[in-house]
Amino acid sequence: MQKLVALHAQEHKHFKIKTEAVESVGSHERMIPVVMSEFIKLSVQYPIVFTKNIETGQFVLVALMGFEERENLFWKNDEWDAIYVPLNVTRQPFFIGADAQTKQHLICIDIASPCISMEEGESIYQQDGSESEYMNTIRNRLSELFRGEQEAAGFIDILGKLDLLVPLSLDISFANESHHQVQGVYTIDEEKLQALDKATIGELHAAQYLRPIYTMINSLSHIYGLIQRKNQRLENA
Amino acid sequence: MKKIRSVVVVGGGTAGWITAGRIAALQKKRLGKSQNATDKAVQVLLVESANKPPIGVGEGTWPTMRNTLRQLDIRESDFIKHCDATFKQGAKFSGWVTGKQDDYYYHPLVLPQDFSQVDIAPYWLWQKQQQQTESFSKAVCFQEYLCEQNQAPKNIRTPEYAGIANYAYHLNSEKFSRFLQQHCMEHLDVKHLVGDVTGVQSQPNGDIESLVISGQEAPLAGDLFIDCTGFSSILLGKHFNVPLTSCEDVLFADTALATRVNYDSSDAPIATHTNATAQNAGWIWDIGLQTRRGIGYVYSSKHSSEEAALAELLRYTGGQVNEADVRKIPINSGYRQTFWKNNCVAVGLSAGFIEPLEASALVLVELSASMIAEQFPATRELMDIVAKRFNDTFSYRWQRIVDFLKLHYVLTKRQDTAFWKDNQDMTSVPESLQELLQLWRYHSPRDYDFTSNNEVFPAASWQYVLFGMGFEADYSHTYNPDSYSSNMANQAMMKNKGMVDRCVAQLPKHRELIDKIHQYGLQSI
Repeated sequence: MQKLVALHAQEHKHFKIKTEAVESVGSHERMIPVVMSEFIKLSVQYPIVFTKNIETGQFVLVALMGFEERENLFWKNDEWDAIYVPLNVTRQPFFIGADAQTKQHLICIDIASPCISMEEGESIYQQDGSESEYMNTIRNRLSELFRGEQEAAGFIDILGKLDLLVPLSLDISFANESHHQVQGVYTIDEEKLQALDKATIGELHAAQYLRPIYTMINSLSHIYGLIQRKNQRLENA
Repeated sequence: MKKIRSVVVVGGGTAGWITAGRIAALQKKRLGKSQNATDKAVQVLLVESANKPPIGVGEGTWPTMRNTLRQLDIRESDFIKHCDATFKQGAKFSGWVTGKQDDYYYHPLVLPQDFSQVDIAPYWLWQKQQQQTESFSKAVCFQEYLCEQNQAPKNIRTPEYAGIANYAYHLNSEKFSRFLQQHCMEHLDVKHLVGDVTGVQSQPNGDIESLVISGQEAPLAGDLFIDCTGFSSILLGKHFNVPLTSCEDVLFADTALATRVNYDSSDAPIATHTNATAQNAGWIWDIGLQTRRGIGYVYSSKHSSEEAALAELLRYTGGQVNEADVRKIPINSGYRQTFWKNNCVAVGLSAGFIEPLEASALVLVELSASMIAEQFPATRELMDIVAKRFNDTFSYRWQRIVDFLKLHYVLTKRQDTAFWKDNQDMTSVPESLQELLQLWRYHSPRDYDFTSNNEVFPAASWQYVLFGMGFEADYSHTYNPDSYSSNMANQAMMKNKGMVDRCVAQLPKHRELIDKIHQYGLQSI
């Protein structure tokens, strides 16, 4: 269970973060929310798709890590086996919250996180009480994620209005002859995209949405990479 | 050959707007945006009276409404937000068999488990004879469990018009009319005119040439006139004098007392089924909308005074309603001998009305609108052929609905009031229903029992009510409990138990989903 509290210079001055433990937070995530600013790095290895938020039904951007519930095929031998690890993992155990009264955004820390230590790891605060270089990196990651969420909302809104979202229906057979139907995952309808008129394409281009659109479409080829990882895991099991 | 180019719909209730919308929407789909589309298009104009508020009949729908709304290009989220609409998963009939406290059964909208592969009914009946089973609706279908817990048929991630469990709607029909009007005018090019019909001008062959409209200098001409004027049936009833075929000798209810009750709080649970609770001389409907419950007593004035009926209604609402908030609606049970005469067809209450026991009002509007739109006569000559088919189809459908409603009454075991005793008198039962009941003593209702492809209620619905009402049947001479079929039936019942666990664990509360739809909307995919 998470336990989020506002980060406080006095209260948390001795807290340290075991960075090697941070990645294990995502070790059982089938999907990890991502932002468009990390698309290029993600697109080297991960399929980037849409899924629906469980609470709101709204579309969100995610990188696909596996097929089954709680399956992350990039988690191998207790470490993240990938060139790039998504921001939503590397920013752990920090979150952006809002002050109950002022509604101002503030940084929160999950004090129940296994990444926190009093003995070893990166300090959050320096001796003089100012934030460490490490914490500065975290701050940048959090603001990149925060900006990214707004940006994604605009992106998804346009795609929805143009009716470009489509369920991704995949029937996959693994090496052990088990079948899996990918459900609850959506992508961009290439046919409808091709059929858009010049003016609409121009608008998408001006909003700098064409590149993320094609990045997402091309990233689907990494599903084959995921299948390969799954087959390897089945072989080793 | 006179082409049919202009349609005049008279009356702006749900019947009028659904019919106008279906015709206009189908035109739009077929013609597209090509250059000659306007030359080929049929113009649809709806004229309605300024001073007659539409009657709020038909707050319950069938699952067919999902397709109707989709055909009209309406977003489900918009419909839910603007029409006070909620999800309906069936009806709960309380007190219809014995009138005792524990007497209830469900007519859910989900078919019995594996219905296309196996008929569970004979196996269930055999189990019941061994005294070892639950009610039919519980044994074969998971939906009752959702209803009893006020759980929605879908969640916020389920696309618009899709369901995890089959569903229909409860809606505020006044809001629904206004919502449809706005949609039809803004998106489907339906023209709108306000005024009263003060005269009808005829052609030599009896067709309506034009209507004289108050406040309009020129008469309103048209090729096809659709009478959606409610009980007054201005064109088909008054102008053409087409009489009603009365059903009052079969279905005794002839009066309704309608009212509404607000929820105690904005987060009060919303029922996801129609409650139909038997009374001394009829039954009370109870329909949960987002902001209030619509409640009404449908009774037979031959079996109850208005005072006694009012007292029963007030007792049901638990003192939350004043007499002043109760509206009396006469129910003239019956349907027109002909629905389409010359170039005029009636849709809605102008075509007929029957007590709202199985929410047949709106579904008949949808079926009528759909047939008119789909079979739209290209020429005046073709209209007579379409009219004949339409009349045959809907006469049949009305008869089937009357039979099905009577089934709810005739099987009662209640002896406590004259109303329930009179309902068991076989002379009040149509011959067609008597025949079915004879058949069903020896086999369970199945699709082969119905010979038409215009059936309104599927065999599954007949099963739910028949066995819910405790129909006594013996299928033992054609059925063995150790057969292949009973093995299949047993498996289906086990599967249903699994569905119960899964659905109850996963689906949100009805109110919670409605709130989320207001906040986030449903996705179209």
